[in-house]
This record gives sequence, C-alpha cells and structure tokens, in this order.
Amino acid sequence: MFTRFSDIDRLFGTMDLLRQRLDNMSTDYNRPYRSSWLMEDGFLRANLYQSGDAFEMRLEVPGMDKDALDIKIQGNYLEISGKREQDVPDGYKVHKTERLNGTFSRSFTLPDDVDSARVEAKLKDGVLYLTLPKSEAAKPRQITIS
Amino acid sequence: MDKNTEIAKREDRNLEKTRELYEVAPAVDIYENDDEILLYADMPGVVKEEVSVNIDNGRLSLSGVRKLETGGAASWEEFGNVEFVRNFSVPQTIDVEKVKAELKSGVLALHMPKSEAAKPRQIEIKTA
Repeated sequence: MFTRFSDIDRLFGTMDLLRQRLDNMSTDYNRPYRSSWLMEDGFLRANLYQSGDAFEMRLEVPGMDKDALDIKIQGNYLEISGKREQDVPDGYKVHKTERLNGTFSRSFTLPDDVDSARVEAKLKDGVLYLTLPKSEAAKPRQITIS
Repeated sequence: MDKNTEIAKREDRNLEKTRELYEVAPAVDIYENDDEILLYADMPGVVKEEVSVNIDNGRLSLSGVRKLETGGAASWEEFGNVEFVRNFSVPQTIDVEKVKAELKSGVLALHMPKSEAAKPRQIEIKTA
C-alpha cells in the first residue's frame, strides 16, 4: 500500500506542472509575469533563512550599488530602504521602459533580537546577502542534565 | 525489502518530467539611437556563466538561470530559482558579429549595433 505513495506524489507533480504551464501563458505572450524586483505594493522581494545562531536574508536589488541602499537594525527590527535610479542613456529614443525606478522601503520584524554590531551585508549579482547573528540572549543554549 | 529503493526505481521509470525550472520574463528597457539598439534586462542573482543570448534570423532569445545559495531553514521565501526567458524580434539590420553583452549587478546590458548599411545618412546637397 505504502509503496504506491510515489504515484500520489507523481499526481501532485503533474498538477504542479499544469499550474506552471498556465502561469507561463502570460510569459509566452511576452508580458512580464511576477518578475519585477518590486512587488505590487512596492516591497522588495526577500527570503529569510534561519539557522541556530543566525538569520540569513536575501533581497533582490538588481542594478543597485551599495551607496543606493540603507540598512538599519535595532533589536529585532530591520529596515531596508533605498533608491534606484535609471541610467537613461543620452541621445537614445525610448522604446520600452518596464524596469521600475524610484525609492522603496521595507521593514521586517525578525523572530529574535539581532546582534547589530556583527551584522554583515554583501552585494553580489544584484542580490543583497545579509547575515544577522542572533544576540546572545536569543541564541539556543545547550542544557546539561546534572 | 527496502521500500525506499522501490520508490526511487519507479521515479526513474516515469516518462514525463515533472520538475521544471519556473520561467519568468524579465522586465526590460529598450533604447535606440542611430548606431545601435540597447537593451537592459533585470536578472537579479544570475551569474555570467548562466546567461545565454541568441540571435538567429531576426529572433533574439535571452535566457538566464538563477541558482541561489540557501542557508538554514527557510522562514519565508519570496523569490527562488527561476529561469529568466524572453524572446524578441529584432531587425535583420543588426550586425550580429558586433553584439556586446555585459552583466553588472544583476542587470544585463545588450548592445546591438546596426550594420553600416542601415545607419541613417546625411545627404549633402551640392550647389550646381
């Protein structure tokens, strides 16, 4: 009975494929679909990962350099703001401008306090990588049984 | 009998492939002047090695695969590994040999120079 589980898994896989094909229909008509680095409400896209003593964060910031970004941390409150300015080339006619410009700001309440002195930020290939070590009080502690 | 190996074998035998990379169309800006057509495409997280640009018979295809390194357990994810795909029709007058592509902080810049014959020419009027 339980060896048939893979068939159920396959069934769901096929359903995923159908959904993906439907989602991709707009891509086939050459309209951008869910690809803007800003979401509809003007938020940056962000991923948060957690390990025992640190948070890892990834944010999409295409075409921005480090001076254009502002990161603030206080306790478990994180705020990222910035501005993207388009490098409109001189003397060119414009055919299409889909890439968004302007200012943005997003704040997060992290699940735990962060040791703000040891936060590291790295910018690579249009993605901002943040390493946020948890503060001592929020770190997991090994308890030895006496 | 180990049930796990049984499952793995069934998976191998399946003909249809159900895990595909999600495809999205990148947002683009297109500019043109007398010498070239300039295209910018936002592809955050894509590295140089994973980008392909093809121009064939008036059809330009862009593709960039994003492979993100992840760390720890995900609390939330708003973007993941995708393939940025988009196709355009370009005029035949593009000088394919001289097309230049640059990738800088997740933005692809594609310079497509027009061939000499297609450039507008100023005609000087001679006085008789």
